[in-house]
Amino acid sequence: MTIRFTVNGMGYELPQSRGHETLLDFLHDELNLTGTKLCCGIGVCRACTVQVVKPPSPAATPVISCSTALSTLDGTRVSTIESVARDGRPDPVQQAFLDQFAFQCGYCAPGFVMAARMFLSDLQARPVPPQELEAAMMEAIGSHICRCTGYVRYFEALRSLAEAVNAGEAIEL
Amino acid sequence: MSSPPVSRAALMSRRGFLKTASGVIGLSVLGLPGRGQGAGAAVSTPLGPVPGVAVQRIEGLAKVTGQKIYARDFRARDMAGWPGRQWHALYLRARTTKEAFLGLDLSHLPSEAEPAKVILGSDLDPKLFDKPVEFNRDLHVDHLLSIKAEEQSNTATGGSFNLPDGLSFDLLVMPGRTPNFLGQAVALLLFDTLAAYRAARRFLAADDGIVQRYGPGEGPDGTPLPDQPFDPRTLYVKDPGFDYAGTDSETYAREAPQVQARIRQALDEATDLIRQPIRAEMRAMDPMFMEPEAGLAWIDPASKEMQLVLGTQSPDGDVRNIASMFGSEASPVPDLAQVTLHSCYPGGGFGGRDSSPFSLMLALAVAFAGGNPVRLAYDRFEQFRVGLKRHATTADGTLYAHDDMRLEAVRLSMVFDGGGRRNLSPYVASLGALCAGGSYRLPVADIHAEARHTENISGGSQRGFGGPQAYFAIETALDDLAAAEGWDQMALRRANLIAEGDTTVTGGPIEQSLNLPEMLDTAEAHPLWAERAEIRAAHEAEGRTYGTGLAMSLQAYGTSGDGMVAAVHLGRDGTLTVQSDAVDMGNGSATTLGVTIGPILGANATRVDMGGYTLFAETGLSDDSASPDRWDDPMWTQKGTGSSSACLTALHQVNTVQQTAQALLRGSLLVAAAQLWGVGPLSAEDVIWEAGALRPVGAGSAPLTLAALAKAVHEMGLPTGALGHAYFQNSWVEADFDTPGGALRLQLDGLAYYHGAKTAPQPIPRRNGSYPTPETARYSRYVWAPCVNVVGLTLDRASGHVQVENVLSVLNAGHIHVPQMVSGQSQGGVAMAIGYTLLEDMPPGMEGPADGRWNLDRYHVARAGDVPPGDRYAPGARAQELITVPQPPGSPRVGRGIAEAVMCSIPPAISNALRDATGIRFASLPITPDKILGGLAK
Repeated sequence: MTIRFTVNGMGYELPQSRGHETLLDFLHDELNLTGTKLCCGIGVCRACTVQVVKPPSPAATPVISCSTALSTLDGTRVSTIESVARDGRPDPVQQAFLDQFAFQCGYCAPGFVMAARMFLSDLQARPVPPQELEAAMMEAIGSHICRCTGYVRYFEALRSLAEAVNAGEAIEL
Repeated sequence: MSSPPVSRAALMSRRGFLKTASGVIGLSVLGLPGRGQGAGAAVSTPLGPVPGVAVQRIEGLAKVTGQKIYARDFRARDMAGWPGRQWHALYLRARTTKEAFLGLDLSHLPSEAEPAKVILGSDLDPKLFDKPVEFNRDLHVDHLLSIKAEEQSNTATGGSFNLPDGLSFDLLVMPGRTPNFLGQAVALLLFDTLAAYRAARRFLAADDGIVQRYGPGEGPDGTPLPDQPFDPRTLYVKDPGFDYAGTDSETYAREAPQVQARIRQALDEATDLIRQPIRAEMRAMDPMFMEPEAGLAWIDPASKEMQLVLGTQSPDGDVRNIASMFGSEASPVPDLAQVTLHSCYPGGGFGGRDSSPFSLMLALAVAFAGGNPVRLAYDRFEQFRVGLKRHATTADGTLYAHDDMRLEAVRLSMVFDGGGRRNLSPYVASLGALCAGGSYRLPVADIHAEARHTENISGGSQRGFGGPQAYFAIETALDDLAAAEGWDQMALRRANLIAEGDTTVTGGPIEQSLNLPEMLDTAEAHPLWAERAEIRAAHEAEGRTYGTGLAMSLQAYGTSGDGMVAAVHLGRDGTLTVQSDAVDMGNGSATTLGVTIGPILGANATRVDMGGYTLFAETGLSDDSASPDRWDDPMWTQKGTGSSSACLTALHQVNTVQQTAQALLRGSLLVAAAQLWGVGPLSAEDVIWEAGALRPVGAGSAPLTLAALAKAVHEMGLPTGALGHAYFQNSWVEADFDTPGGALRLQLDGLAYYHGAKTAPQPIPRRNGSYPTPETARYSRYVWAPCVNVVGLTLDRASGHVQVENVLSVLNAGHIHVPQMVSGQSQGGVAMAIGYTLLEDMPPGMEGPADGRWNLDRYHVARAGDVPPGDRYAPGARAQELITVPQPPGSPRVGRGIAEAVMCSIPPAISNALRDATGIRFASLPITPDKILGGLAK
């Protein structure tokens, strides 16, 4: 038995004996993809959030990579922060965070970016009543910990995108 | 873009070396090419086309796209010229201070988790270095440890490698000795495979005590003894005839106790004065920066160069301490030639990476790694267990007031739990003593503050540096006084505001405009305060308990004497590079320094290199304290550089960069412009920057683009860069410098010019200097960032849960360089303060993180739902509004330290709001639901 999954489009096949290893360790030490950050290591702070698609569902879900065993990833498609920018150009979420000075030390930023992207994708597919948008944003990124900024600027940055998307405006994610 | 000179030139200077017992060790701080924040780094992205305006953080793109810029991101394989292999270090930590550490019993370790080497304190004994004990994982470790313990009992303990300069206690506990504090390292385990390291971590995660042996033995080594204070202690006594600032140190030390007795007697006899007790206590707080400390090190066996990859707030001190450690007679690497630090952007700091012992622990590990690169990476449990904390503190005293609201005196004793290592704890206590005077005129003071050595986790330089504890004590006592006397809280404060011409509790004068009355006016008129009764009524109508609290802080920034260095380079293509000794820990220093040159040189920097403390070596200046000539020597300065503090950016680092940019403008660019225009000498007032080009004021010659000027500067042999050093001690040192543009008077004490990228800068001796007077050194602090905070909160009386509904911060931030970063810093300060006041609960001893099992599931920091989400007050909504004091026209373009200013008065404002809501004083932080329910039950 093997564990098969992709990371940023590249396929990997690992023996089941490695199933206990965490996705975060695999990203860091095997793939040298260190953009996904370790902070608490127990799945509380969400700095290590990555995007995982598990067919047949096409929907991406946020996954806490520090607490996700490789054994649970068989058949999945994993995307990390390194896959987001195209040719060095930030995606709309990254650009909004830059424009709003949303982060300071920046260590939590990749986790916020990944969670915000998945939230906006969901919103594109299933808009919510405008009065529920704030609560939906809180649901999406409210559990992420940032120690520098006090969150206000992250929410401001996401709010402008979320309002646009929720109103039917297309953005490329 | 042409490259600026990299600081390797510093290695040829006096400051680039450290003389040690075993010889001379070179020092250098570099960036990781393309990654770090030091010289040679290139993570910069455009700041924006408008000079002086930043459209984004200069390192923002690298951070938001997940590039490798933090120390934790790097492995040996990422480092050019390093071996691809890598070892892993893991320290075992003391679990008791009641018994002696006897050694390890690693027989429980699974075979796949055995270390390649085990290092004990006894292995660091100088007498044993000729035959270091190496524990191969195939050997019977326990047997060897028994032999070692027996040898240990017959040999002298201690050794300078284990006890580097400035440390009171061994890095590794000597077997047979009682640990000095919980979490002190008792053993270093080195693993030659990642798999073994991970297996050991997994095995030890639940209980690392399983491999440690404790029992009867010798007591702790070193001083001070438990519960004794670290030196120095602080005593500020002040009455109309005597104070700290106005008395020389010897006289003060001799007479202060007598004055203290005199003050106490006078206060005891002044029965007409109103007495208000001051009583407050605060738990320790973890800075909880997001990136747990991590680093990489390697000693090149060929060159004997130690390279370190670190994210530190104190590159200067870290490198010097490591060089000192390895330069000791007992060094296991006696022929170390060079220490090079690759300085990375820290994933948060808040003071927790200032003088952190982590760098020494990493250096110690690589000494025994047998020529292999070694990685030391704390996980969050370990970071909680050993990372520097904000001190647990008690404050006990009395406030004395006249019946017309005038404050007369403060008597206060503050005891800071310094924990295991001395670190910066005595100085934190000292600043706490200064802050205890608050924002108020106090004719009489008797303030004592000390940091005690205990078994707890070490305290250090946390955001606020003693201020949070002091302001909590004084501002809650003020509200209690107002309540007891039936006075209005605002009126009581207004009656006692300190102002220019007054003195602090040290006796040092306030010589800076504070704007405190106007700030109180703003707060008083704001609807959050003015309509507090209506807001309360609205909440109560819906069944919620509501209260409003007010508090002020007057946070000092800088120290009692600060030296800074900066370089500004003009590339042949017209691009500008700024270099600074400051470290950007997320506060935005790099961005600020990059835009502050814009109005002077016509464009923002395209690149900013931070953490370059060896820049000082290139100035040609000396800061030798033994110099007989001192300021009479035109190449002497009081202080080269210090540790990097966020609060130093807005004024100190900015002004140094601005003055250096002025030196480049007036000493080079204007000379070139005059030649190109065929006119006589130009002054800065003769020209103006417009759309990226320099033109004469009024009609005249054609504008010159910065690129055209740069080309001319390079071709004419004019200075292509300037290197400035500044010193601030109540005032800036000013001097004349003879430049190609004539004599320039600058707020610098050292200036040198670069001519091309490859050459060392040429220093220019200063003339006609004006220097700080000696007595100013005893003022303690000179510049202040005042803040008034109003908090409105609701309380759920059933659960004890508090929700902060609104925060108003009225802040004097001086000139604001990057408004978005000022508001972001303020919001971060609010969030951290809410956590400190209501959420972050950290018991001492093994009940707390010292047991190695604490993480964010037990230690709760503020999340988005805990902070008011809006940034502008609106009735019925939650917001945190920041109002900054406008600066008069013509004010210098320098700011004031900010985040800690906002943070410091939030905790007392919350406690005061709770008092307003319930009539109960909650003076013990954090104010948890249990404490609130207990208070309500009474």
